[in-house]
Amino acid sequence: MPILDIHQVSLNFGGLKALQDVNLKIEEGTTHALIGPNGAGKSTLLNVLTGMLEPNDGSVMFDGKPLLDVQPHDINQLGIAKVFQTPAIFPEMSVLENVTIPVFAARDGSFRMNMFEGEGRQRPLVEFAEEQIAELGLKDKMHVRADSLSRGDKRRLEMAICLAHKPRLLLLDEPTAGMARHETEQTIELLQGMKGITKVIVEHDMNVVFSLAEKISVLAQGQIIAEGSPEEIKGHPKVIEAYLGEAQV
Amino acid sequence: MKMQQGFFERNRSVFIFALIALTMPFWFPLIGGYSGLDTKIMVFCIFVVGFDLLLGYTGYLSFGHAAFFGIAAYTTGLMLKGFSDNIIPAIIVAVIVSTLVSVVIGLLTLKRTGIYFSILTLAFAEMFHSMAMAMLQQWTGGENGLTGMPTPMLFSIKMQGDAVFYFITFVAILMFYVAKRIERSPVGLMMRAIKCNQTRLEYTGINARKYKLLTFVISAAYAALAGALMVVYEPFVGHEFLGWHQSGEIVIMSVIGGVGTLVGPMLGAAFMLYFENVLSVDLGEQWLLVLGMIFMVVVIFMPGGFMEAVSRLQARFTQK
Repeated sequence: MPILDIHQVSLNFGGLKALQDVNLKIEEGTTHALIGPNGAGKSTLLNVLTGMLEPNDGSVMFDGKPLLDVQPHDINQLGIAKVFQTPAIFPEMSVLENVTIPVFAARDGSFRMNMFEGEGRQRPLVEFAEEQIAELGLKDKMHVRADSLSRGDKRRLEMAICLAHKPRLLLLDEPTAGMARHETEQTIELLQGMKGITKVIVEHDMNVVFSLAEKISVLAQGQIIAEGSPEEIKGHPKVIEAYLGEAQV
Repeated sequence: MKMQQGFFERNRSVFIFALIALTMPFWFPLIGGYSGLDTKIMVFCIFVVGFDLLLGYTGYLSFGHAAFFGIAAYTTGLMLKGFSDNIIPAIIVAVIVSTLVSVVIGLLTLKRTGIYFSILTLAFAEMFHSMAMAMLQQWTGGENGLTGMPTPMLFSIKMQGDAVFYFITFVAILMFYVAKRIERSPVGLMMRAIKCNQTRLEYTGINARKYKLLTFVISAAYAALAGALMVVYEPFVGHEFLGWHQSGEIVIMSVIGGVGTLVGPMLGAAFMLYFENVLSVDLGEQWLLVLGMIFMVVVIFMPGGFMEAVSRLQARFTQK
């Protein structure tokens, strides 16, 4: 059974058909890339998966549970985390505080009135957050304000936030956009190291796509026009057409 | 032994506040403060500390907190008049009533952010204000205010002079300690995260809406407690307790002192009440002009308020 099952999802923005009868199955443990020209509906599809957008039609099942009509924080609690195009972190807080938040979320659920919990009881959770940070190579920056980090480190921090909750599915929206080459390579390495977590990655950089993805789906004008292994996609006539079509505009 | 040291170290600001507050009757008259003003400062310390949890931590600027202050004040007054002159049941009922109102207002206003939230809270507060002035006049005394309360009693102690000062100061110290505890708790962390990045917080599995409501209600409970104590301090409730002027004053106190620091807004409250009542004796109405100028200077040159000045000084001294 696939971990994520998108069935006949359609979404309209006014008259614009952003997604049309999209069907997609993601197998557990795989890295699945979504590619396609600008405006094809890739980010829209991710927003449907995180509960940000409500489709007009269709269903999305995650691990056998429906995802539609579920709030973003509940979707995250089910085990879906998202890495944004621009690293979404808590800028005015320290790196450690940034990662402590998801650790609390993992223990307490989406809300708990623990207004008087002392530092002693928080200690094991903070230590766990420290381990997570160290694992992603930010140990030296533990108490630095998050907004003073370099772009690459912000991305690492965001990953640490997402991973601290031990997600089962990680959605990545152009994780290397605007990055220098060595930062892109670092990100690829980071993602390759995360074994066992299912990943859906939207990406423009084909280098990144081909070094990470086991399976690729191609979206164009809100529809999936091709699906297959990287080799199959490279030579697919429809894919070439979709990309060349865009290039001519 | 080690734990105890940690306790003192962690709560240093609470002890310093307690020391300054409890010795006020001795040093306050030396700088021209009169007895009674110190009590009023303590009442507003409670108000602004709670308000800071909302404004300074979650970043939600309420222009309607006078509603909770005023509702609790009226409730306390009516309880003292109609039920018992003992302040304990009066305060408890007042805080409960006002806090319940805040749950409803919070649910309705927190759907919006920024200026829309501020305007909505203002609108609700003005609604209560006009209700007190007209519809509920027979209860509230309308324009004349609620008067004729018996001398408030703490069981057998008359709430006058020193007794009322020490009682209210004790509550203020306790409430400051509670706020510090909240600040350090997971809830405090979520409050700050709301101000930083609500989207990321939602995508991290946190129900930001519930934490916002909790913070709103906590700050309203602080305002309510202050409102109830205001009546204990002076058995009178004026309609202006509910007015926008009252809400605005709290905002100005917080900003002058430095939001998000808990201590700063208390400094702001003390500063404003002191100047308003002591220095303005010579200035008269001109006082508002001076206040306006002080406010502008702080906002333009020291957006972090008095606390920014304090930390700048601290940095300079430690450098040397």
